[in-house]
Amino acid sequence: MKTTKTAFASCLLALAAAVTAACGGGGSRSVIQNKGSDTLVNVAQAWAEEYAAVAPGIAVAVTGGGSGTGIAAMINGTVDIANSSRKMKDSELDLARGNGAEPIEFVVGYDALAVYVHPDNPLDEVSLEQLASLYGEGGEIESWSQFGVEVPGCGSDEIVRVSRQNNSGTYVYFREAVLGDRRDFRLGSRDMHGSKDVVDLVENTPCAIGYSGLAYATDHVKMPCVRTGEGGDCVSPSVETAIDGSYPIARPLFMYTAGEPQGAIREYIGWVLSDEGQCIIYDKGYAPRGDVDCS
Amino acid sequence: MFEATARNRRNRKVEGLLRLLFLWMTCMLILPVALILGVLVVRGGPAISWEFLFTQPLDNMTAGGILPALVGTVWLVVVALIASVPVGVAAALYLSEYAPDNRLTRAINLAIINLAGVPSIVHALFGLGAFVIFFRFGTSILAASLTLAVMTLPVVIVATRESLQTVPLAFREACWNMGATRWQTIRKIVLPNAISGILTGVILEVSRTSGETAPIMFTGAAFFLPFLPQGVLDQTMAMSLHLFVISTQVPDVPEHMPFGVALVLISMVLAMNGLSIAFRVYLRGRKKW
Repeated sequence: MKTTKTAFASCLLALAAAVTAACGGGGSRSVIQNKGSDTLVNVAQAWAEEYAAVAPGIAVAVTGGGSGTGIAAMINGTVDIANSSRKMKDSELDLARGNGAEPIEFVVGYDALAVYVHPDNPLDEVSLEQLASLYGEGGEIESWSQFGVEVPGCGSDEIVRVSRQNNSGTYVYFREAVLGDRRDFRLGSRDMHGSKDVVDLVENTPCAIGYSGLAYATDHVKMPCVRTGEGGDCVSPSVETAIDGSYPIARPLFMYTAGEPQGAIREYIGWVLSDEGQCIIYDKGYAPRGDVDCS
Repeated sequence: MFEATARNRRNRKVEGLLRLLFLWMTCMLILPVALILGVLVVRGGPAISWEFLFTQPLDNMTAGGILPALVGTVWLVVVALIASVPVGVAAALYLSEYAPDNRLTRAINLAIINLAGVPSIVHALFGLGAFVIFFRFGTSILAASLTLAVMTLPVVIVATRESLQTVPLAFREACWNMGATRWQTIRKIVLPNAISGILTGVILEVSRTSGETAPIMFTGAAFFLPFLPQGVLDQTMAMSLHLFVISTQVPDVPEHMPFGVALVLISMVLAMNGLSIAFRVYLRGRKKW
């Protein structure tokens, strides 16, 4: 039995040594806990990855779970920064104040979706109802003549619907804002695997219509204005209309901290809001807070 | 004289059919395992390389390696083992060697069996409430591993108790008759004879622990962490959650990557199982009865 015991003990020792060796590199790091919105999680991950190079002494730990989860964790004090794709509710604000910390809100960018058509397409405006009827399950719109336009170069008159793969945040938000939570997308769309791919396809397909992040607009596509309801104004997509809230398919994206951020957290949020951080959110298909040159 | 009657022939036919049916069912059992392994090796194999195992993820986790997840899983498993094995073995020792067969003991046994049946997401919420919030461990390896330990405790207890009970009572009685105390008997006679079964329980726990996703999602595993954990109060990435994340949350991940992660995870588990089988064979060879 003696040898077995020794063998087992040495096994454990070896394992412990391996773990220590694997993890021994680097000195002490300070960790920023960042949690929340699944819409923002990929941007948050990109920020964290990039920030590791900017400030090697700081590590940003990113977790998803949803806006509510992040806000709750921020209120409980288990994370430093909550990511959210909605404003904090009054009840959440009260809870946070009850814990002695006034939540501070930072707008880190906008989730603004533009509708794209081919530049030769005479369509100048669409309504949310028309978009829902075009993309939603059980919808009626199949052809450009139902929009009252005749598209040069699109002999078939049939609309080519361009959409996104169903795990993209863009897909989820478009569904939320245009179709409503309970309605599904209609089958038969061309589902692209990237924001840029949607715009590329529409650029080269006269029959096509698609939606994608505003940040992906080029000079070779047309963005019709979007109307809410019958009598509403038709609002063109732009960073300004996203910021003032008049454009219907846009929402601000937030970071929240419990109380005024200090030290490393303050520096991190400052970096997120800087041109460098804003270009990362732009690269992920969202609109930055203001004009930044990311070319 | 012994001519087959119609009834004999019918019986033989039923016998044959049943045999075939059972054989078929057994094959059905093997089929998914073979398919899973086959698909993983074919589609995930090309992803496996030295870089894949030992570098940080890059480009929004669509490139680079899985080192933080791999190291994180090792941390989670080791800490969970440290927490659960002593408790589990001690509980099994009490239940098997000391406890009288009364209503309380039976109730405890029942509770252990039921604990094994609690869904892992419930353990996750328990861990969040107890370890993360109440004990203020935060989302950390410690909180996640303790949650995993609570969840896998029944596995260790049941496996240990069963292997203790395979040691014949006559061994103990002989020992007691020599004047040995209960603890002396356990240490010198019962444990050495039961060690292979206990190890099986431990290995089973390792397999389960390394694959669980729900319990660690709320208690300690991160979507992304650009460093390796330095201690038990750090958060960590983990293989199982990483697999979930890159197959459902992150856009544009090359197809071979999730399969690669799954292949590494299942290889780890199979290697542990293989190790346990080898160890058992070795120990059985040393058994003197």
